[in-house]
Amino acid sequence: MRIDVKAKNGDFSFDCEEGEHVLYAGLRQGIDLPYECATGTCGTCKARSDEETPGDTIDAGWTDAPGRAYLKPKRGEFLMCQACVRENCRIVVPSKLNGGGLRTQPAYNDGVITGVRRLNHDVADFVVELEEPMDFRAGQFACLSTPGVTGFRAYSMVNYANEASRELRFVVKRKPGGAFSDALFEGRVDGAGLRVFGPLGKAVFDPAENRNVLCAAGGSGVAGMMAILRHADLADYYREHVVNVFFGVRTGQDAFYLDELVELAEKHGDALNVCIALSEEDANDELRRSMPALTFDTGFAHEVMARRMKDRYENSVAFVAGPPPMVDAVLRILIVEGRLPASDIRYDKFS
Amino acid sequence: MSWKRICTLDELKPDALREFDVDGISIVLARFDDDVRAIPPACPHMEEPLALSGLCSGGMLTCTKHLWQWDLATGEERGDAEKPLLMYDVKVEDGDVMVFVEKELEYEYEDEDDEDDD
Repeated sequence: MRIDVKAKNGDFSFDCEEGEHVLYAGLRQGIDLPYECATGTCGTCKARSDEETPGDTIDAGWTDAPGRAYLKPKRGEFLMCQACVRENCRIVVPSKLNGGGLRTQPAYNDGVITGVRRLNHDVADFVVELEEPMDFRAGQFACLSTPGVTGFRAYSMVNYANEASRELRFVVKRKPGGAFSDALFEGRVDGAGLRVFGPLGKAVFDPAENRNVLCAAGGSGVAGMMAILRHADLADYYREHVVNVFFGVRTGQDAFYLDELVELAEKHGDALNVCIALSEEDANDELRRSMPALTFDTGFAHEVMARRMKDRYENSVAFVAGPPPMVDAVLRILIVEGRLPASDIRYDKFS
Repeated sequence: MSWKRICTLDELKPDALREFDVDGISIVLARFDDDVRAIPPACPHMEEPLALSGLCSGGMLTCTKHLWQWDLATGEERGDAEKPLLMYDVKVEDGDVMVFVEKELEYEYEDEDDEDDD
Protein backbone atom coordinates (compact mmCIF):
# COMPACT_ATOMS: atom_id res chain seq x y z
CA MET A 1 0.00 0.00 0.00
CA ARG A 2 1.09 3.56 -0.67
CA ILE A 3 0.98 6.26 2.00
CA ASP A 4 1.15 9.88 0.87
CA VAL A 5 2.29 12.21 3.64
CA LYS A 6 1.60 15.89 3.77
CA ALA A 7 4.20 17.47 6.05
CA LYS A 8 4.83 21.10 6.92
CA ASN A 9 7.61 21.35 4.38
CA GLY A 10 6.14 19.38 1.50
CA ASP A 11 4.86 15.99 0.38
CA PHE A 12 6.46 12.61 0.89
CA SER A 13 5.37 9.08 0.20
CA PHE A 14 6.33 5.56 1.16
CA ASP A 15 5.12 1.98 0.95
CA CYS A 16 3.51 0.13 3.84
CA GLU A 17 3.02 -3.62 4.04
CA GLU A 18 -0.23 -5.10 5.21
CA GLY A 19 -0.28 -5.15 9.00
CA GLU A 20 2.85 -3.00 9.25
CA HIS A 21 2.93 0.01 11.58
CA VAL A 22 2.96 3.25 9.62
CA LEU A 23 5.87 4.69 11.63
CA TYR A 24 8.11 1.69 11.04
CA ALA A 25 7.29 1.68 7.31
CA GLY A 26 8.29 5.33 6.94
CA LEU A 27 11.45 5.07 9.04
CA ARG A 28 12.78 2.00 7.25
CA GLN A 29 12.38 3.90 3.98
CA GLY A 30 14.44 6.79 5.29
CA ILE A 31 11.68 9.28 6.14
CA ASP A 32 12.29 10.81 9.56
CA LEU A 33 8.73 10.69 10.87
CA PRO A 34 8.52 12.14 14.42
CA TYR A 35 8.67 9.59 17.25
CA GLU A 36 10.22 8.91 20.63
CA CYS A 37 9.04 5.69 22.26
CA ALA A 38 7.84 3.99 19.04
CA THR A 39 5.66 1.78 21.24
CA GLY A 40 2.44 3.69 21.93
CA THR A 41 3.10 5.66 25.08
CA CYS A 42 4.59 9.09 24.35
CA GLY A 43 2.20 10.48 21.72
CA THR A 44 5.00 12.13 19.72
CA CYS A 45 4.21 10.25 16.49
CA LYS A 46 0.66 11.52 16.15
CA ALA A 47 -0.64 12.13 12.63
CA ARG A 48 -4.00 12.79 11.06
CA SER A 49 -5.88 11.14 8.26
CA ASP A 50 -6.46 13.35 5.25
CA GLU A 51 -9.43 11.27 4.12
CA GLU A 52 -13.14 11.98 4.46
CA THR A 53 -13.72 8.68 6.22
CA PRO A 54 -10.50 7.83 8.11
CA GLY A 55 -11.98 4.63 9.56
CA ASP A 56 -12.06 3.03 6.11
CA THR A 57 -8.36 3.42 5.43
CA ILE A 58 -6.68 3.42 8.85
CA ASP A 59 -6.77 0.87 11.62
CA ALA A 60 -5.61 2.86 14.67
CA GLY A 61 -4.38 -0.28 16.46
CA TRP A 62 -3.86 -0.65 20.23
CA THR A 63 -6.97 0.89 21.78
CA ASP A 64 -5.47 1.34 25.26
CA ALA A 65 -2.22 2.94 24.10
CA PRO A 66 -1.35 5.60 26.73
CA GLY A 67 -0.20 7.91 23.93
CA ARG A 68 -3.80 8.20 22.79
CA ALA A 69 -4.30 10.77 25.54
CA TYR A 70 -2.60 13.23 23.17
CA LEU A 71 -4.98 12.58 20.28
CA LYS A 72 -8.19 14.15 19.07
CA PRO A 73 -9.81 11.08 17.49
CA LYS A 74 -12.66 13.21 16.10
CA ARG A 75 -10.16 14.91 13.85
CA GLY A 76 -8.90 11.58 12.59
CA GLU A 77 -5.71 11.66 14.66
CA PHE A 78 -3.84 8.42 15.33
CA LEU A 79 -0.46 7.16 16.55
CA MET A 80 1.75 6.18 13.63
CA CYS A 81 3.59 3.62 15.80
CA GLN A 82 0.35 1.70 16.36
CA ALA A 83 -1.67 2.27 13.21
CA CYS A 84 -1.81 0.14 10.08
CA VAL A 85 -3.43 1.05 6.79
CA ARG A 86 -6.04 -0.94 4.91
CA GLU A 87 -5.51 0.70 1.51
CA ASN A 88 -3.61 3.53 -0.15
CA CYS A 89 -4.17 6.65 1.89
CA ARG A 90 -3.17 10.23 2.60
CA ILE A 91 -2.07 11.41 6.02
CA VAL A 92 -0.96 14.72 7.54
CA VAL A 93 2.10 14.84 9.82
CA PRO A 94 2.27 18.17 11.72
CA SER A 95 6.02 18.66 11.48
CA LYS A 96 8.85 19.15 9.02
CA LEU A 97 10.33 15.99 7.54
CA ASN A 98 13.52 15.04 5.86
CA GLY A 99 13.08 12.27 3.34
CA GLY A 100 16.77 11.84 2.66
CA GLY A 101 17.50 8.89 4.88
CA LEU A 102 18.51 8.45 8.51
CA ARG A 103 22.02 8.10 9.87
CA THR A 104 21.15 4.71 11.24
CA GLN A 105 18.20 3.55 9.19
CA PRO A 106 16.09 0.98 11.04
CA ALA A 107 15.08 -2.30 9.47
CA TYR A 108 13.29 -5.51 10.39
CA ASN A 109 15.46 -8.36 11.48
CA ASP A 110 14.90 -11.84 12.87
CA GLY A 111 16.73 -13.01 15.94
CA VAL A 112 17.09 -15.80 18.47
CA ILE A 113 17.32 -15.30 22.23
CA THR A 114 20.44 -16.76 23.82
CA GLY A 115 22.48 -16.35 26.95
CA VAL A 116 19.83 -15.33 29.47
CA ARG A 117 21.49 -14.26 32.74
CA ARG A 118 19.85 -13.42 36.04
CA LEU A 119 21.58 -10.25 37.26
CA ASN A 120 19.74 -9.99 40.58
CA HIS A 121 16.40 -10.88 42.14
CA ASP A 122 14.38 -8.96 39.55
CA VAL A 123 16.67 -8.01 36.67
CA ALA A 124 17.92 -10.27 33.87
CA ASP A 125 19.67 -9.67 30.60
CA PHE A 126 19.80 -11.65 27.39
CA VAL A 127 21.40 -11.61 23.98
CA VAL A 128 19.55 -11.58 20.70
CA GLU A 129 21.52 -13.13 17.88
CA LEU A 130 20.44 -11.43 14.69
CA GLU A 131 20.21 -12.90 11.24
CA GLU A 132 21.59 -9.67 9.74
CA PRO A 133 24.08 -7.42 11.57
CA MET A 134 22.70 -4.12 12.88
CA ASP A 135 24.64 -0.86 12.78
CA PHE A 136 23.63 1.15 15.84
CA ARG A 137 24.92 3.97 18.01
CA ALA A 138 25.42 3.92 21.77
CA GLY A 139 22.20 5.01 23.48
CA GLN A 140 19.85 3.62 20.84
CA PHE A 141 17.10 1.09 21.36
CA ALA A 142 15.28 -1.57 19.36
CA CYS A 143 11.69 -2.73 19.36
CA LEU A 144 11.26 -6.43 20.05
CA SER A 145 8.23 -8.49 19.35
CA THR A 146 8.83 -10.95 22.16
CA PRO A 147 7.29 -14.41 22.59
CA GLY A 148 3.85 -14.26 24.16
CA VAL A 149 3.47 -10.49 23.82
CA THR A 150 1.33 -8.70 21.25
CA GLY A 151 3.11 -5.84 19.50
CA PHE A 152 6.57 -4.41 19.96
CA ARG A 153 8.29 -3.29 23.18
CA ALA A 154 11.32 -1.03 23.31
CA TYR A 155 14.62 -2.12 24.89
CA SER A 156 17.93 -0.22 24.87
CA MET A 157 21.06 -1.94 23.66
CA VAL A 158 23.54 -2.56 26.50
CA ASN A 159 26.44 -3.53 24.27
CA TYR A 160 28.33 -1.49 21.73
CA ALA A 161 30.76 -2.36 18.96
CA ASN A 162 32.49 -0.15 16.46
CA GLU A 163 31.02 -2.04 13.57
CA ALA A 164 27.59 -3.46 12.77
CA SER A 165 26.85 -6.22 15.25
CA ARG A 166 25.03 -9.55 15.09
CA GLU A 167 24.59 -9.52 18.85
CA LEU A 168 22.37 -7.21 20.84
CA ARG A 169 22.22 -7.37 24.63
CA PHE A 170 19.14 -6.13 26.49
CA VAL A 171 18.07 -5.74 30.12
CA VAL A 172 14.65 -6.66 31.47
CA LYS A 173 13.24 -5.80 34.86
CA ARG A 174 10.89 -8.45 36.15
CA LYS A 175 7.25 -7.53 35.86
CA PRO A 176 5.11 -10.14 37.64
CA GLY A 177 2.40 -11.33 35.28
CA GLY A 178 4.24 -10.03 32.23
CA ALA A 179 4.26 -12.88 29.72
CA PHE A 180 7.79 -12.27 28.42
CA SER A 181 9.25 -11.32 31.78
CA ASP A 182 7.81 -14.43 33.44
CA ALA A 183 9.07 -16.69 30.66
CA LEU A 184 12.50 -15.07 30.83
CA PHE A 185 12.83 -15.44 34.60
CA GLU A 186 11.52 -18.98 34.49
CA GLY A 187 14.16 -19.88 31.89
CA ARG A 188 11.70 -20.64 29.11
CA VAL A 189 12.95 -18.32 26.35
CA ASP A 190 16.42 -19.55 25.47
CA GLY A 191 16.39 -20.34 21.77
CA ALA A 192 13.09 -18.57 21.12
CA GLY A 193 12.81 -16.59 17.92
CA LEU A 194 11.70 -12.99 17.80
CA ARG A 195 11.25 -10.09 15.43
CA VAL A 196 13.40 -6.98 15.88
CA PHE A 197 12.91 -3.48 14.49
CA GLY A 198 15.73 -1.04 14.95
CA PRO A 199 17.88 0.77 15.68
CA LEU A 200 15.80 3.66 16.98
CA GLY A 201 16.27 6.68 19.25
CA LYS A 202 18.03 10.01 19.12
CA ALA A 203 19.63 10.09 22.58
CA VAL A 204 22.96 8.97 21.16
CA PHE A 205 26.57 9.46 22.17
CA ASP A 206 28.89 10.96 19.58
CA PRO A 207 32.59 11.14 20.54
CA ALA A 208 33.07 13.88 17.92
CA GLU A 209 31.09 16.24 20.15
CA ASN A 210 34.13 16.56 22.37
CA ARG A 211 32.21 17.13 25.61
CA ASN A 212 32.25 15.85 29.14
CA VAL A 213 29.49 13.33 29.67
CA LEU A 214 26.96 13.08 32.48
CA CYS A 215 24.84 9.92 32.66
CA ALA A 216 21.88 9.70 35.04
CA ALA A 217 20.06 6.37 35.04
CA GLY A 218 17.39 4.76 37.17
CA GLY A 219 17.07 0.96 37.28
CA SER A 220 17.07 -0.68 33.86
CA GLY A 221 17.63 2.77 32.32
CA VAL A 222 21.31 2.04 32.87
CA ALA A 223 21.21 -0.18 29.75
CA GLY A 224 21.93 2.61 27.27
CA MET A 225 24.51 4.15 29.61
CA MET A 226 26.50 0.90 29.54
CA ALA A 227 26.68 1.20 25.74
CA ILE A 228 27.81 4.83 26.03
CA LEU A 229 30.54 3.97 28.56
CA ARG A 230 31.72 1.14 26.32
CA HIS A 231 31.78 3.33 23.22
CA ALA A 232 33.73 5.99 25.16
CA ASP A 233 36.19 3.25 26.13
CA LEU A 234 36.64 2.09 22.53
CA ALA A 235 37.02 5.71 21.36
CA ASP A 236 39.68 6.45 23.99
CA TYR A 237 37.35 9.22 25.13
CA TYR A 238 38.39 9.15 28.80
CA ARG A 239 41.85 10.41 27.90
CA GLU A 240 40.51 13.95 27.32
CA HIS A 241 37.08 13.99 28.94
CA VAL A 242 35.42 13.35 32.25
CA VAL A 243 32.42 11.05 32.46
CA ASN A 244 30.18 11.12 35.55
CA VAL A 245 27.63 8.36 36.04
CA PHE A 246 24.79 8.34 38.58
CA PHE A 247 22.99 5.01 38.76
CA GLY A 248 19.92 5.06 40.99
CA VAL A 249 18.51 1.91 42.60
CA ARG A 250 16.56 1.21 45.79
CA THR A 251 19.09 -0.90 47.67
CA GLY A 252 22.45 -2.55 47.10
CA GLN A 253 20.53 -5.74 46.24
CA ASP A 254 18.87 -3.96 43.32
CA ALA A 255 22.08 -2.84 41.63
CA PHE A 256 23.53 -4.79 38.70
CA TYR A 257 26.34 -4.48 36.16
CA LEU A 258 28.56 -3.44 39.07
CA ASP A 259 31.41 -5.72 37.94
CA GLU A 260 31.36 -4.12 34.49
CA LEU A 261 31.27 -0.65 36.04
CA VAL A 262 34.16 -1.51 38.37
CA GLU A 263 36.21 -2.74 35.43
CA LEU A 264 35.69 0.51 33.50
CA ALA A 265 36.17 2.74 36.56
CA GLU A 266 39.44 1.00 37.49
CA LYS A 267 40.70 1.32 33.95
CA HIS A 268 39.95 5.03 33.60
CA GLY A 269 40.60 6.38 37.11
CA ASP A 270 39.63 10.01 37.66
CA ALA A 271 38.14 10.32 34.18
CA LEU A 272 35.24 8.02 35.02
CA ASN A 273 33.31 8.55 38.24
CA VAL A 274 30.57 6.03 38.87
CA CYS A 275 28.23 6.72 41.77
CA ILE A 276 25.55 4.26 42.85
CA ALA A 277 22.68 6.18 44.47
CA LEU A 278 20.70 4.05 46.93
CA SER A 279 17.31 5.55 47.70
CA GLU A 280 16.19 3.21 50.48
CA GLU A 281 19.29 2.38 52.49
CA ASP A 282 22.84 3.43 53.24
CA ALA A 283 25.48 1.40 51.46
CA ASN A 284 26.90 -1.23 53.78
CA ASP A 285 30.62 -1.45 54.49
CA GLU A 286 30.97 -4.72 52.65
CA LEU A 287 29.70 -3.18 49.41
CA ARG A 288 32.03 -0.22 49.78
CA ARG A 289 35.02 -2.43 50.65
CA SER A 290 34.44 -4.86 47.83
CA MET A 291 34.15 -2.15 45.18
CA PRO A 292 36.46 0.73 46.05
CA ALA A 293 36.43 1.93 42.44
CA LEU A 294 32.76 2.89 42.79
CA THR A 295 31.18 5.53 45.02
CA PHE A 296 28.03 4.77 46.98
CA ASP A 297 25.72 7.49 48.23
CA THR A 298 22.27 7.67 49.79
CA GLY A 299 19.34 9.36 48.09
CA PHE A 300 17.47 9.44 44.81
CA ALA A 301 19.68 9.65 41.71
CA HIS A 302 18.71 13.29 41.08
CA GLU A 303 19.47 14.29 44.68
CA VAL A 304 22.85 12.59 44.68
CA MET A 305 23.63 14.08 41.27
CA ALA A 306 22.66 17.57 42.45
CA ARG A 307 24.97 17.27 45.47
CA ARG A 308 27.96 15.85 43.66
CA MET A 309 27.74 17.79 40.39
CA LYS A 310 27.31 21.23 41.99
CA ASP A 311 29.28 23.76 39.90
CA ARG A 312 30.73 20.95 37.75
CA TYR A 313 28.29 20.87 34.84
CA GLU A 314 30.47 22.93 32.52
CA ASN A 315 30.87 21.66 28.98
CA SER A 316 28.71 18.62 29.76
CA VAL A 317 26.22 16.78 27.64
CA ALA A 318 23.75 14.79 29.74
CA PHE A 319 22.06 11.45 29.05
CA VAL A 320 19.02 10.53 31.12
CA ALA A 321 17.03 7.28 31.27
CA GLY A 322 14.80 5.65 33.83
CA PRO A 323 11.30 5.67 35.28
CA PRO A 324 9.36 8.82 34.27
CA PRO A 325 9.40 10.53 37.71
CA MET A 326 13.16 10.01 37.93
CA VAL A 327 13.73 11.40 34.43
CA ASP A 328 11.57 14.41 35.27
CA ALA A 329 13.43 15.10 38.52
CA VAL A 330 16.82 14.84 36.81
CA LEU A 331 15.74 17.18 33.98
CA ARG A 332 14.71 19.79 36.53
CA ILE A 333 18.11 19.67 38.22
CA LEU A 334 19.95 19.82 34.88
CA ILE A 335 17.98 22.87 33.76
CA VAL A 336 17.70 24.81 37.03
CA GLU A 337 21.01 24.00 38.73
CA GLY A 338 23.16 22.79 35.85
CA ARG A 339 21.90 25.55 33.53
CA LEU A 340 22.24 23.09 30.68
CA PRO A 341 20.55 24.20 27.47
CA ALA A 342 17.91 21.79 26.20
CA SER A 343 20.15 20.88 23.28
CA ASP A 344 22.68 19.35 25.72
CA ILE A 345 20.17 17.04 27.37
CA ARG A 346 19.48 13.71 25.66
CA TYR A 347 16.68 11.33 26.51
CA ASP A 348 13.94 9.42 24.78
CA LYS A 349 10.66 9.85 26.55
CA PHE A 350 8.93 6.54 27.10
CA SER A 351 5.82 7.98 28.80
CA MET B 1 -13.76 41.85 29.57
CA SER B 2 -11.17 43.98 31.28
CA TRP B 3 -8.22 44.00 33.64
CA LYS B 4 -8.74 41.37 36.31
CA ARG B 5 -6.90 41.15 39.59
CA ILE B 6 -5.56 37.60 39.91
CA CYS B 7 -3.44 37.56 43.07
CA THR B 8 -0.67 39.52 44.74
CA LEU B 9 2.88 39.26 43.47
CA ASP B 10 3.92 37.95 46.88
CA GLU B 11 1.58 35.00 46.48
CA LEU B 12 3.72 33.83 43.55
CA LYS B 13 7.00 32.34 44.67
CA PRO B 14 10.08 33.10 42.57
CA ASP B 15 9.96 31.01 39.38
CA ALA B 16 6.41 29.90 40.22
CA LEU B 17 4.05 28.55 37.56
CA ARG B 18 0.48 28.63 38.84
CA GLU B 19 -2.82 28.03 37.15
CA PHE B 20 -5.79 30.33 37.84
CA ASP B 21 -9.38 30.34 36.68
CA VAL B 22 -10.39 33.77 35.39
CA ASP B 23 -14.12 33.79 34.70
CA GLY B 24 -13.95 30.28 33.29
CA ILE B 25 -10.73 30.86 31.34
CA SER B 26 -7.70 28.97 32.56
CA ILE B 27 -4.52 31.06 32.75
CA VAL B 28 -1.05 30.22 34.00
CA LEU B 29 1.01 32.91 35.70
CA ALA B 30 4.77 32.59 35.43
CA ARG B 31 6.89 34.66 37.76
CA PHE B 32 10.49 35.56 36.94
CA ASP B 33 12.38 38.10 39.03
CA ASP B 34 9.72 40.67 39.92
CA ASP B 35 7.90 40.32 36.65
CA VAL B 36 5.00 38.10 35.66
CA ARG B 37 3.70 36.65 32.40
CA ALA B 38 0.22 35.28 31.80
CA ILE B 39 -0.04 32.42 29.30
CA PRO B 40 -2.51 29.72 28.25
CA PRO B 41 -2.24 26.60 30.44
CA ALA B 42 -1.08 24.13 27.76
CA CYS B 43 2.22 23.75 25.95
CA PRO B 44 1.87 24.87 22.32
CA HIS B 45 3.57 21.63 21.27
CA MET B 46 1.44 18.77 22.60
CA GLU B 47 -0.84 20.40 25.15
CA GLU B 48 1.11 19.33 28.21
CA PRO B 49 -0.19 21.18 31.29
CA LEU B 50 2.55 23.73 31.90
CA ALA B 51 1.62 24.32 35.54
CA LEU B 52 2.77 20.70 36.09
CA SER B 53 5.32 20.00 33.36
CA GLY B 54 6.73 23.50 32.99
CA LEU B 55 9.83 24.83 34.63
CA CYS B 56 10.77 28.50 35.15
CA SER B 57 14.44 29.25 35.59
CA GLY B 58 16.61 32.22 34.70
CA GLY B 59 13.81 33.94 32.77
CA MET B 60 13.33 30.84 30.61
CA LEU B 61 10.26 28.60 30.53
CA THR B 62 10.92 24.94 29.71
CA CYS B 63 8.30 22.28 29.07
CA THR B 64 9.95 19.16 30.44
CA LYS B 65 7.97 16.87 28.12
CA HIS B 66 10.07 17.55 25.02
CA LEU B 67 12.26 20.42 26.25
CA TRP B 68 10.62 23.17 24.23
CA GLN B 69 11.81 26.49 25.71
CA TRP B 70 10.80 30.14 25.60
CA ASP B 71 12.19 33.46 26.73
CA LEU B 72 9.59 34.57 29.26
CA ALA B 73 10.22 38.28 28.72
CA THR B 74 9.14 38.11 25.07
CA GLY B 75 7.52 34.69 24.62
CA GLU B 76 9.96 33.95 21.80
CA GLU B 77 10.88 30.34 21.15
CA ARG B 78 14.33 29.04 22.13
CA GLY B 79 16.09 25.77 21.33
CA ASP B 80 13.77 23.12 19.96
CA ALA B 81 10.54 25.10 20.32
CA GLU B 82 8.78 25.73 17.05
CA LYS B 83 6.07 28.14 18.19
CA PRO B 84 6.15 31.25 20.40
CA LEU B 85 4.10 31.54 23.58
CA LEU B 86 0.78 33.33 23.41
CA MET B 87 0.53 35.91 26.20
CA TYR B 88 -2.16 37.92 27.90
CA ASP B 89 -1.34 41.52 28.81
CA VAL B 90 -0.27 41.61 32.41
CA LYS B 91 0.80 44.32 34.87
CA VAL B 92 1.74 44.53 38.53
CA GLU B 93 0.00 47.41 40.31
CA ASP B 94 0.51 48.10 44.01
CA GLY B 95 1.68 44.54 44.43
CA ASP B 96 -1.36 43.10 42.64
CA VAL B 97 -1.03 41.01 39.49
CA MET B 98 -3.56 42.20 36.90
CA VAL B 99 -4.31 40.37 33.64
CA PHE B 100 -6.27 41.71 30.67
CA VAL B 101 -8.55 39.00 29.40
CA GLU B 102 -10.56 39.80 26.33
CA LYS B 103 -11.00 36.30 25.02
CA GLU B 104 -9.32 32.97 25.61
CA LEU B 105 -6.00 32.57 23.80
CA GLU B 106 -5.61 29.14 22.24
CA TYR B 107 -2.89 27.54 20.15
CA GLU B 108 -3.64 25.94 16.85
CA TYR B 109 -2.40 22.44 17.42
CA GLU B 110 -2.31 21.65 13.76
CA ASP B 111 -1.99 24.08 10.94
CA GLU B 112 -5.36 23.71 9.32
CA ASP B 113 -4.14 26.32 6.86
CA ASP B 114 -1.61 23.89 5.45
CA GLU B 115 -4.46 21.92 4.06
CA ASP B 116 -6.34 24.87 2.64
CA ASP B 117 -3.27 26.43 1.08
CA ASP B 118 -2.46 23.50 -1.17
